[in-house]
Amino acid sequence: MRSGVVYTETVVHLAPERFAADVPYQVIIVTLDDGSRLTARVDGARVAIDDRVVDAGARDGIPYFRKK
Amino acid sequence: MRPVAIIGAGKTPFGAFPDEDLRSLSVAAGEKALQNAGIGPETVESFYLGNFAGPEFTSQNHLAPYISTALGMKGIPATRFEAACASSGAAFFQAFMGVASGVYDIVMVAGVEKMTNQPTARVTEILAGAGDCATEVKVGSTFPSLFAMIARRHMHDFGTTREHLAAVAVKNHENGVLNPDAQMRKAITLEQAMNGRPIAEPLNLYDCSLISDGAAAVVLCPADRAREFSRKPVRIMGVAQASDYLALDQKPDITTFAAVQGAARKAYAMAGLQPSDIQFAELHDCFTIAEIVAMEDLGFVPRGRGGFFTAEGCTRRSGSMPINASGGLKSKGHPVGATGVAQLCDLVQQICGEAGERQLQRNAVGLAQNLGGSGATCVVSILGSY
Repeated sequence: MRSGVVYTETVVHLAPERFAADVPYQVIIVTLDDGSRLTARVDGARVAIDDRVVDAGARDGIPYFRKK
Repeated sequence: MRPVAIIGAGKTPFGAFPDEDLRSLSVAAGEKALQNAGIGPETVESFYLGNFAGPEFTSQNHLAPYISTALGMKGIPATRFEAACASSGAAFFQAFMGVASGVYDIVMVAGVEKMTNQPTARVTEILAGAGDCATEVKVGSTFPSLFAMIARRHMHDFGTTREHLAAVAVKNHENGVLNPDAQMRKAITLEQAMNGRPIAEPLNLYDCSLISDGAAAVVLCPADRAREFSRKPVRIMGVAQASDYLALDQKPDITTFAAVQGAARKAYAMAGLQPSDIQFAELHDCFTIAEIVAMEDLGFVPRGRGGFFTAEGCTRRSGSMPINASGGLKSKGHPVGATGVAQLCDLVQQICGEAGERQLQRNAVGLAQNLGGSGATCVVSILGSY
């Protein structure tokens, strides 16, 4: 299972219409263990920079990560 | 390559104008610029238009001849340039090359955007198109959220604080109060700026620039002909454009913009100047953090010091490096396609000593930095007095 470290994060409060029902939601950039980066959403508890996260699957084509 | 001058500048006020459209706004700005240059539309040999999302905001497309013909320019090349919020900066760079190369003598560059006829959620969606739709936008990133992620990392790496961000907003509003063409002529306190409605944490409403209608235009000619037209021509000392990935997750370090550094390096080299030679600047403060990163990438302060420099008051009109004496995108307004040329109009006004109550005393060399998206395009221009 993919895992990595949170490089940066934000919690979105104002979203485009198609995501309006999801607010507030957290978006992160993860530095994966292979060194590549990915923009994803957070599933569950809020995360901070340098937290370790693991792949929590994809829903509606959106990749999710959760705190390890 | 021959030297080029700006001989006319004009812009509309920025704001919400329900009775104006892309064409009427552009014509108003263009006619002011022509009048300022003392020429008629028949003298213009090529028309360059910067516009980000006219078709999405208004459904009108094919915008350059739509506007140039309304200005009375017949038969000349008329082309629209799109580079997100750097659209009219990019148009200006092409116009500069058209004159510098000797192909044309007299050209006009205009920028325009009409945004306020759409609800905020739809505006957010249209602006998100300047990001990478297959990756960052698909997961729910908005433009505020991209700059929020830059802010978070900048705070983490350099100790930039929430107060530093607020200090940018307070200073730009303080300047905008003095600008009769600004959209939001309202001073705000540090406490207000710290406690706005959250948009994308750590950014709140006061960290975000405005949704605006407006247009701006300038007229260029060879530097050696400038005195034929204008008593107060302004010299284009350097101009350069650079690019980078759209997606933040493709950049090795999001606390710096490679495109800003690249464009700045080339513009300084063309002008034969150092960052310390710049006396004042109009920077692309689409979000408060963007002004902080820009002043670092332009070499006005060392990496990581932009927030501290702002909080110390150094970027106020009375400071050592006045930034956004116009009020910036934050207070003046940000009709995205107009912003690049509007920044140039603000520099011209200062250099000509026509900035009224916000006139700066050290006004001989000014720099404008126009950013597209989260740093995928940047145009840096340096203007100077004759």
